[in-house]
Amino acid sequence: MSSHNTTPTVLASENLDLYYGETQALKKISLTMPERKVTALIGPSGCGKSTYLRCFNRMNDTIEGVRLEGKVLVEGHDVNAREVDLERLRTRVGMVFQKSNPFPMTIADNITYGPRMAGVKNKARLEEITEKALRQADLWNEVKDRLSESALGLSGGQQQRVCIARTLANEPHIILLDEPASALDPISTAKIEETLAHLKERYTIVIVTHNLQQAARVADVTAFFMLGEVIEFGDTTTMFTNPANSMTEEYITGRFG
Amino acid sequence: MAHSRNHIHGAPSPSPGIWASALATGIILTMLAVLIGIVAFNAFGWFWPAEITEVNLIDGSRVIGPAVQTEARPSGAGERTKFKIGSRDIDGRDFRWIDDDQIESLQSPSELVRVERSEYGDVFGRLTKINDTTGRSLDPSDTRALQAMLQHGQDLRRQRRNLLEERETIRRPLTRIEEKLALKERSANAQSPETLQEIDALEIRRQKVEARLLPKLDGTDRAVADIDAELERGLLVIDTGRGVVTVALADVINVGFPNDLSFGGQVRETLKRGVEFLVAEPREANTEGGIYPALFGTVLLVLLMTLAVVPLGVVTAVYMTEYARKGWLLNLATQAVHNLAGVPSIVFGMFGLGFFIYGVGGTLDRWFYAESLPTPTLGTGGILWASLTLALLTLPVVVVASREGLLAVPRDWRDGSRALGSTQWQTLRTIILPAAMPGILTGVILAIGRAAGEVAPLMLTGAVKLAPSLPLDGSAPFLHLDRKFMHLGFHIYDVSMQSPNVEAAKPMAFATTLVLLALVAGLNLGAIVIRRRLQKAYRGGEV
Ligand SMILES: Nc1ncnc2c1ncn2[C@@H]1O[C@H](COP(=O)(O)OP(=O)(O)O)[C@@H](O)[C@H]1O
Ligand SMILES: [Mg+2]
Repeated sequence: MSSHNTTPTVLASENLDLYYGETQALKKISLTMPERKVTALIGPSGCGKSTYLRCFNRMNDTIEGVRLEGKVLVEGHDVNAREVDLERLRTRVGMVFQKSNPFPMTIADNITYGPRMAGVKNKARLEEITEKALRQADLWNEVKDRLSESALGLSGGQQQRVCIARTLANEPHIILLDEPASALDPISTAKIEETLAHLKERYTIVIVTHNLQQAARVADVTAFFMLGEVIEFGDTTTMFTNPANSMTEEYITGRFG
Repeated sequence: MAHSRNHIHGAPSPSPGIWASALATGIILTMLAVLIGIVAFNAFGWFWPAEITEVNLIDGSRVIGPAVQTEARPSGAGERTKFKIGSRDIDGRDFRWIDDDQIESLQSPSELVRVERSEYGDVFGRLTKINDTTGRSLDPSDTRALQAMLQHGQDLRRQRRNLLEERETIRRPLTRIEEKLALKERSANAQSPETLQEIDALEIRRQKVEARLLPKLDGTDRAVADIDAELERGLLVIDTGRGVVTVALADVINVGFPNDLSFGGQVRETLKRGVEFLVAEPREANTEGGIYPALFGTVLLVLLMTLAVVPLGVVTAVYMTEYARKGWLLNLATQAVHNLAGVPSIVFGMFGLGFFIYGVGGTLDRWFYAESLPTPTLGTGGILWASLTLALLTLPVVVVASREGLLAVPRDWRDGSRALGSTQWQTLRTIILPAAMPGILTGVILAIGRAAGEVAPLMLTGAVKLAPSLPLDGSAPFLHLDRKFMHLGFHIYDVSMQSPNVEAAKPMAFATTLVLLALVAGLNLGAIVIRRRLQKAYRGGEV
């Protein structure tokens, strides 16, 4: 953690308030996520985890009536600043959604979608990107012979990993995952967790999860959200064995949520 | 649990509502089948080379022609039969009802002939005399010689047409000068000294060009006159039972001996006549000949309409779903589009007349064709204005279907695309439009279906009974969007309601209806096939 003092923070928010029209979904959230670690966001549903995650790649922009106060920092820059190049921000900060959403195209076209939209045309380069991304997502061996088949023909778990690979193809620095395994069977879930475990060597990862065991397995630090507020934030093992806040304790021992 | 058991042990009995709707669907489909059956039967009945009967009446007179219809006599006793006797130049009658008890004898010898000619309709009877183009008489029973002569007649006519076209090409420089002269002479300041000078100069040029072209023109004129003389000498004389009819070779379209045909020959003849119907020009105020210009006009009209409505409709739908801010204004616009779909089509015709023809066309005339006013150039009905009117008429269909297609594209895909760093435009182009394409095409299919059958607005915007030339031809600029056009729907109306010879034209109306039905079905089928292909290619693994 010594590098923290020299490099700018990768991902942080300062006094972040977010409103959907009149209703406030996030209240004064200030967090700093560690670099090249996995941060888990946990908490009962509707507490604002997804909303918070979407602040970092400004996906909340696509929702009408969203208003935001405070600061969201990515690699030291305020993402809501006027001069920010939205498309570039989103290639830096990749996102994997709860419901896997491969495009109705071939597997290869799915993977190269981001680079193609950014202007990469060279076929050899695109093939290279495809292989690298699929290898990183531990999917290469399963699909290398069917790259030109529709991605919609894959199993649910494979589809989600196509989405992960598609995000990796953009060579992001940060990956946001919003309950990436909530719709998958245990085996697919385990595979995705395995993938995350070695991705964190190279990427800063934030994962929203509903599954506390999953948070305990994959996350280095964890933030516990409730009603739009962060109740507790810190080392995962500490939080799960010795929570500082009684509400955290009640939640992780399963008394609500 | 009770619910799931229900599914395992026998299906629940369907409600009466399902039976009722199944019954209604069945009735509607049956009616549709009957309707199409009637139309097809009448149309093909017309193409079928009907047997020609020679009827000897007890009063000693004789008529020759195919029987068309038999019914009980209105007076009660016995039956009567309608014969198509043709040769209306003899006594002005094409058909005749004959009571059964008036008939002495009936026979159908193989030598009875049907001669289709360019004027006054068919002739039925016996060939009594044939002159070939040298004026020599042929043996009327020598069919080989007859066929050779008919072939020669066709060749001559083709040569004549080519010569006339050639003549027009030769004369074109002269025609152009004459047109200019006419415009100058009619223009408002025809009396001003400059214009008079210009007119004089043009006149001198005209005389020069004429002198230069005259020898060539005389040459073609002589060649045409020679052909005319040959065609004049060739003739067929037919005894119709009611009198003798002479048909000049120049007027002969077709000669057939239907009683002499085998079944295969009859089928071949039917197909031949069906194809001829599609590719031939109409004759005799549309009561005879083919419907080529109407078919052509309809297809071109629908094509132009599609070219206009698809971009406009899709852009509107895209704007409404992807870009416009949600709110009362968008709701109002949506309502307006829906209501537009319910406006009677004649109102669109009025709008086309008022806005496109008088408004846009009239203004363009004042700007660019001022010298030919008051004769309008663009300020009158034409295929462009008609197709734009139809495009407006079908716009709501395209907009509504495209919007539905666009709204059905899952938000997940849009978010996924944007989250990968694509712009809104890139997402639209690469994800949303391809996924919405089946919906958009559904709109296009519905629009084509509606437009192809629409007649009322066309009557106000440029459809005519008889157009002198097609809107697409070999002379520059090839596509003449200002021209009036013929249309199958209007043709049906014209043939069945406005015809000078309604009875003779009735089968024509059925045949045209069949063509229109087939065209609409064909266009729809084509679009559906394209849509299915797209859907399949698109869903990929899912299907
Ligand atoms: N598009 C939206 N419009 C209005 N309110 C929303 C929207 N999305 C989420 N919310 C509200 O914001 C709160 C937080 O939602 P969300 O971030 O999705 O929670 P979580 O991911 O923790 O389940 C909830 O109360 C939810 O109802
Ligand atoms: Mg959520």
